[in-house]
Amino acid sequence: MDAVLLAHRAQLIRFLESHGAGDAAEDLFQELWMRVTQRPTGPVANPLAYLYRAANNLMVDRYRADRQSRVRDQAWTEARGGMDEAAPDPNAEETLIAREQLARMDAALSALGERVSRCFRRFRLDGIPQKQIAVELGVSLSTVEADLRRAYAALLVVRRQSDDA
Amino acid sequence: MTHDPRIEAAALDWVVRQRDPAFEQWEEFADWMAQDPAHQEAYFELAALDAELADLPAPAEPAAPAANDDPADDNIVPFAPRRANRRAWLTGAIAASLVGMVSIGVLNRPSDSYRVETALGETHEVKLADGSRISVNGGSSILLSHADPRKAVLERGQALFHVVHREDAPFRVTAGEAELVDIGTVFDVTRIDGRTVVAVSEGAVVYNPAKDNVRVDPGRRLVARDNGAVRLGAVNPEAVGGWQHGQLVYDGVPLGDVAAEISRTTGIRLRTTPAAASITFRGALQTSTGEANLVDDLAALSGTRATQESGGWTLSK
Repeated sequence: MDAVLLAHRAQLIRFLESHGAGDAAEDLFQELWMRVTQRPTGPVANPLAYLYRAANNLMVDRYRADRQSRVRDQAWTEARGGMDEAAPDPNAEETLIAREQLARMDAALSALGERVSRCFRRFRLDGIPQKQIAVELGVSLSTVEADLRRAYAALLVVRRQSDDA
Repeated sequence: MTHDPRIEAAALDWVVRQRDPAFEQWEEFADWMAQDPAHQEAYFELAALDAELADLPAPAEPAAPAANDDPADDNIVPFAPRRANRRAWLTGAIAASLVGMVSIGVLNRPSDSYRVETALGETHEVKLADGSRISVNGGSSILLSHADPRKAVLERGQALFHVVHREDAPFRVTAGEAELVDIGTVFDVTRIDGRTVVAVSEGAVVYNPAKDNVRVDPGRRLVARDNGAVRLGAVNPEAVGGWQHGQLVYDGVPLGDVAAEISRTTGIRLRTTPAAASITFRGALQTSTGEANLVDDLAALSGTRATQESGGWTLSK
């Protein structure tokens, strides 16, 4: 994998830059290198695609980490601003947020009807390809696509509400 | 913040397409991302949402058996309706509200199939026509065929296979993207969060014979992600399928997987925070010691803290 990383260094840096890495692109490439070489992998069919995916995951993880620390800071500030209690346990806080969000996401999905929520669950939780879902549900592929769009849109609304709350 | 629906639609398109392990248009994607910071913002928001859907603590563990009309001892359900109400990530109340919904999809499958489903903490043994046995752990679902007793589909959860080996008709297990073919006898398969974990106790199993063709020997443990990444590690062959006797032995297994296996085996609702889930766990546990002791032991051995909440426990760093 080292050789593949080296051979495609420029492409991978460009890929990281396209994700808004800016000046940090070189550092992030090092991080990618660490990630990829520290995790032993089995046979990889397309090494470059594998590396692009790893780079993409790295950038998404970074975004998520940033976002979580923003949410945590906010929760902290609000808790302090409210009552002068002991500091909230960030882990307990996250679990609570996650569980509450889960229930709301679940409700939002169910509200879209059985077909849409089933379609989404088969796709996202069971990892079934869209074509196969279409066969299973006896609908066209474009219906599956439309159902997935609706489901993600609804979940996004729930997420944004939770963030604003 | 304003959200441009066209950009969002395009971003979602990328997120959905990238879920396909065979997705290869990364350069085209990079071009799109580079065009506009708004593209990046929309994509990251959706990709983070998508990633968290897998991370949410509850989905990993099947809900308690939903209040429904299940005859208590009958794990074998005719292959048809009622699946939505058993969805792993539903909370009890919501699950209850879904009871009675018919899922259309299953009707298209061959009629000789039947499904064995277990609730958390409830195990079930299936004897096949050829003499093979499958022990199904709690919180699991497996699809079998009357016409072809040499195949099984592990849909979720965990099962231990004692297979009668036949040269002319190898036993095949499908789990997610993984296909396993026996060249021996005893192996355990777990299906969790887009991964298939195979541990072999006796004989051997071949993973994806047509593609990867990886042989898993006794004492080896293979982890195959649906994105194609495969990892081989070691396992104590004596410990494989230990859940059957309430003996759980781990040598370097993510704590999240340990918690999920305990939930399946005992029915204790046990979750892990994302940070705790990735801790590498080594240790032996007895499920017969009682809920509080078991959770205490696990927390002490993993260096985590166990918090009891309504209806379950959470392990955090």
